[in-house]
Parts: sequence; structure tokens; C-alpha cells
Amino acid sequence: METINKKELLQKLDDAVEQHISDAVALFQNRNDEFLNKPSATGGWSIAQCLDHLNSYGHYYLPRMREQLGAAPPANAEGFTSTWMGAYFTKMMDPETGKRKYKAFKGHIPHSQLDSASVVREFIRQQEELLYLLRDGMGKDLDAIRIPVSILPFIRMKIGDVFQFIIAHNERHMQQAKRNLVPERIF
Amino acid sequence: MEEPLKLLHSVVQAIHPLDQADWEALSQIWKPFSARRKEIITSAGETERYVYFVTDGVQRIYYLDDQSREATIAFTYRPSFGGIIDSVMMDVPSRYYYETLTPSSFIRAPYTEFKEVAYQRPAIERMLRAGITQTLSGILERLVEVQCFSSEDKFRNLLKRSPHILQLVPHKYLANYLGIDPTNFSKLVNKVRI
Repeated sequence: METINKKELLQKLDDAVEQHISDAVALFQNRNDEFLNKPSATGGWSIAQCLDHLNSYGHYYLPRMREQLGAAPPANAEGFTSTWMGAYFTKMMDPETGKRKYKAFKGHIPHSQLDSASVVREFIRQQEELLYLLRDGMGKDLDAIRIPVSILPFIRMKIGDVFQFIIAHNERHMQQAKRNLVPERIF
Repeated sequence: MEEPLKLLHSVVQAIHPLDQADWEALSQIWKPFSARRKEIITSAGETERYVYFVTDGVQRIYYLDDQSREATIAFTYRPSFGGIIDSVMMDVPSRYYYETLTPSSFIRAPYTEFKEVAYQRPAIERMLRAGITQTLSGILERLVEVQCFSSEDKFRNLLKRSPHILQLVPHKYLANYLGIDPTNFSKLVNKVRI
């Protein structure tokens, strides 16, 4: 895979997370429980379910990333190179490049009635932590740190790929959640 | 730089009108400064050297106790002054943190230079005094709120003062500022329709 500039990559990811937080704050946190738990017009996930699904991944990855980044020595590596598999996962999850639908994995399937306020709160908390981790990554070697994949723990993915994968996945379900804000079309 | 200075000018004129020469002297000392979300601008223990004027975004001043509990003391946002005022003016280490809660833009001036123009120009000194008096009045008002108001009254008061803040700042910081449990804060949002 092609080597890309690490700083530019982290900056781009920081911008995406920034957008996810400001959307969650402006569009979701002030809505009532009934609205946030309402299934989509097509019977799909509610806003709370989309965010809870994302939280379940953050719950797995964030503590592991925090620990690994904290333990890694400072490094002034300027580039990052995705593995073939890392790039494949990101492409699959990115709503621009991965158009087909996937079924959620066991352990990541949200309940239908959630404490929506605490789900939104946890989502925002996780995204703020993700910003800190991205900034930590500036001074670390993203090729050297590896994290076991949640659904395939025998595969250890480069942290630079984990960042890209989970933020593409966040984008996917933020878009899905935001579709629930649009009133059902009648034409 | 022109737009932020215009904004500063209108705020300064509302505090205490300055003539052209005084304004020109004051307007010389500012430089642009910006920070992304959740960046610490000033840490506890560090002596603040700058006076900030916020042109975009929301920030907070908070205290961190020895058990890592946060107390959000104040929010700052456009168009107002920001920073740790006692640290900068008394030249002592800050007891508080100054942190961005959204991407933020400022103009800021080194306090040594601010002090110098204020020393040379009495109108600027008077403006400074009037500005600090307003801030002090706001703090006394807030103390009444903290000691006497119910959670719901504090919440309503916050919305009256800063109606857009619910769309900008995560609830947890607003709940912390009001001294309310985040769960109860969510209940208030649902109860008090905005």
C-alpha cells in the first residue's frame, strides 16, 4: 500500500470526529427519549441504536488504543502505510466506497429501547476521547502499534488503520442516524 | 484581523467609549490565535500572560480538585473577553484551566503591553475598570444563583442568558456548570421545552 503523510491523515480524521461531535451536540442531544428511540421510517435502527452500536466498538477499542499509545515510545515517523486488510476494512465501512449493507456482529447489536440520553452522552464522551487519541498519535509511530480486531481478535491491526476504520464506521452510522431526522417523504 | 478588531471595538465602546487615538493604541497589541476542540489554552500552575478576546467558539474555565473532580466556573464565547483574569492581572500561577469546548478563534494581547497602554492612557484604564466591574457584578449574580436557585431555575436562567448554548456545548459541561447530575440535566431538557 502507498505511504501517506501521517500528519495530514490525523488532521483529516480529527476534522471528521469534530463533525461527528458537533452534529451529535446540535442535532441529537436536545431531542427527547421518544424521538431518539423511534425506529427509522423503513423499520431500521433508531438514532439511539445507531449511536449505541458505535459506542459498543468504542467501548472495545478506546481503552486498548489509550493503553497502547501511552506505552509506545515517542517517534517522529512522518508517514503511515495501511496494510492491505486495514485498507479493505476502511473501504468497506466508508459510506462513500462501501455501499452494501452488512449485518451487525454479535455483541454489537443494539437493544430497541435504550436510555437515549445516556447513549448520546456516552457517544460524545467517546468522541472527545478519540480526539485526544488522534492527537497522541501525532508523536507516535502508527505503523508500529497494533490492536487486536474486536470481531477477529487473532488479527492485530495497525493503530493507523484502526483509527481510519472506526472513524469511517462512525461516519457510516452518523449518516444513517441523521437520515432519521428527515421526515418521511410522501412522494 | 480586521473583522475581530471591529468586534472588539464595538464591545470596548459599549463598556467605556474611547476616542480615536486611544482606540488606535489599544488595537495595535492584538494577534490572532486559534485552537481546536478540547484544547487546554492555560493549565493550572501556569501563569497566564495574555488577555483573550473570543471571536468564535465556546470555552470554559474549570477547577480540578485533588480527587480529579471538575468544577466548571464560567463559559466564555463570542464576543467577550476570556482567559484566567486573576492569574494574568496579579501575575500569579493560575488555579484554573482554560479549555476550548468547540473549535475557537481569538485575538489576544500580552498583558504587559495591555498594562502599558492602560498606564499611558487614562481612558483605557477606565475602560478596564468598568469591564472588570461588570464581570464582578456577573460573578456576584452567579453566586446568588448557585446558593439560592433550584436546578430548574438555574437551567432556565442559563437558557435565558445563553439561548444557543444547548446546540453548541455537550450537556455534561452545562450540567457541571449548574452543579446538576447529568441524568437530571437530561430530564430538565425534556421537561423544559425550549
